[in-house]
Amino acid sequence: MRVKGKQQRVGRFFTPSVVISLAVLAVILIGVLFAGVLAPYDPNYGDLSSAMQGPSAAHLLGTDQTGRDLFSRMLYGGGTTLLGALGVVAFAVALGVPLGLFSGYYGGWVDTLVLRVSDIVISFPSLLLAFVFVAAFGRGFGNTVVALGILYIPMTAKLTRSLVLMERGKTYVEAARAVGCSDTHILFLEIFPNCASTLTAQLTLDFGYAILDLAAMSFIGLGVQPPTSDWGAMLEEGQVMLFTQPLLALAPGIAIAVTVIALNIFSDGVQRYIDPSQRQLPGFGKRGKWGKKAD
Amino acid sequence: MGRGKELLWYIGKKLAQFVAVLLVVSVLIFVMVRLSNIDPVAVILGGKKTSPETIAALRSKFNLDKPVVQQYFIWLGGMLRGDFGIDFKYQQPVWDLIAARLPVTLWLVSISTVLALVICIPLGVIGGVRQGTWADRASSLFSLVAAACPSFFLGVAMIAVVSRVSPGTRFTGNYHTFGEMMGRMWMPAICLALGMVALGARIIRTGMMEQMQSGYVQTARAKGLAPGRIVLRHAFQNAVIPFLTVMSIQVGSMLVGAVMVENVFSLAGVGGLLISAIQSSNYPVVQAITMILVFLFLLITTLVDILYAVIDPRIRVGKME
Repeated sequence: MRVKGKQQRVGRFFTPSVVISLAVLAVILIGVLFAGVLAPYDPNYGDLSSAMQGPSAAHLLGTDQTGRDLFSRMLYGGGTTLLGALGVVAFAVALGVPLGLFSGYYGGWVDTLVLRVSDIVISFPSLLLAFVFVAAFGRGFGNTVVALGILYIPMTAKLTRSLVLMERGKTYVEAARAVGCSDTHILFLEIFPNCASTLTAQLTLDFGYAILDLAAMSFIGLGVQPPTSDWGAMLEEGQVMLFTQPLLALAPGIAIAVTVIALNIFSDGVQRYIDPSQRQLPGFGKRGKWGKKAD
Repeated sequence: MGRGKELLWYIGKKLAQFVAVLLVVSVLIFVMVRLSNIDPVAVILGGKKTSPETIAALRSKFNLDKPVVQQYFIWLGGMLRGDFGIDFKYQQPVWDLIAARLPVTLWLVSISTVLALVICIPLGVIGGVRQGTWADRASSLFSLVAAACPSFFLGVAMIAVVSRVSPGTRFTGNYHTFGEMMGRMWMPAICLALGMVALGARIIRTGMMEQMQSGYVQTARAKGLAPGRIVLRHAFQNAVIPFLTVMSIQVGSMLVGAVMVENVFSLAGVGGLLISAIQSSNYPVVQAITMILVFLFLLITTLVDILYAVIDPRIRVGKME
């Protein structure tokens, strides 16, 4: 196995794959954030005289059957998708992180309860529970985000808990306690910052999952409702014109895939930076640079 | 404890867990759906005007006049006898609606599972054993892309491509023979399988990497055992255990993922029925389908758990929880 010295150096965060994924995410983010400035047309206004056109200088990605500009719709739709995914992750962090911190730090029956419930919820496909939630409280963007947000809490709580368990016994915690810091201070200002990087890696990954789950809900018509649109709903709408204007369905699908791939690569980069033992594992033939994998 | 007794104890524990979780989920589904502020009678009537007598008659027909707790037990008791109640829209037994569609979903998930296993195991083993080679890189890249592409997008993309390459291909329509079914299902099956392939290959790869550097593999190599034999007979057998757990959960996810894929390829599985039932607030159907999916999902994971205990004695004495 070739060992590329430069790429394997400890402490290097900006590896080529991380840089590329960050650049891709930046382009998507800028496009979506400045949709109002960048979009050449109103995403919901259809000019029937220019319906069903292929890509051209006037319409970068062409137009749909009612003459709406696909490029403009992609920018606005992306905003809904990313905002929704951000909502899901924010919901999960706001409730899951404190729950994990307390249950890991104090232990006891609360901890057992959190763990048991989390294990059950995690073992179920998240979309199935989202279906039941939406069946009860009605479909729509807000309800879908809340439903997925609730379902993402256990994952977040369980990870936070396991990180707290690792940190709890360390010397700096003992020192903080010795100088008389309160439990709240120790939890949020001492332990939490040390868990933050691993949490970031996981939450980046969860952000990608949230994009996929939201797109799925919108695709089957339970998420975003017209006239609002996101990439999932656009993919569903585009199916009708698949044989004549495939770009209408393919563009939002590719956007979803590219965003999620970039998020996964970035998350992987953060993970490798935190835990160098993951950077290189020994192969079949020779031992890798890092020797035996650290447990 | 003796070997047999230990195993029986373990199986009993797993079955008790299975029943307990199923009961908790049934309460959850029932309560969630009841929390809705939509009046079932309005759904049953579908906007028609009617007399108070008819409404009262409908209430008693669907047991809505009884206390909620009693309604739950009527529902639960009915399910144990295979009776899922009467649906709001067509006023037909729910089971009749589902029975016609369930085989389609089950076939789709089964075909996808077999397909996923056949692809991901070799892919993962090659990646784990020959790290850093082009084969490993290609398989990692494939996993990365497959994990990020939603199954329904793959379906749409596949239809777009296949319809260009061979214009005569049928994407819809009925099938009667097994051959026709496979002709209709191979594309949806690939779409549904890819997510599992990506995850499975990654887990096998990591597992193989860990096993290949463990002491017993070093010993086996030192005494000159053929590399192929080490990989297949020793390392793979140990790497496959964690893989099976994740795969059993993945099969459960596929039952739900099938909803999306059936939609793309207009297959008449339970997915379409579930979506339309959610959209029209047809609660008996929503409850029945979600319960059946949860039942199948738990059944698979429990069976796989029991299967391990039979294969690996360490699990049943609780050393590998």
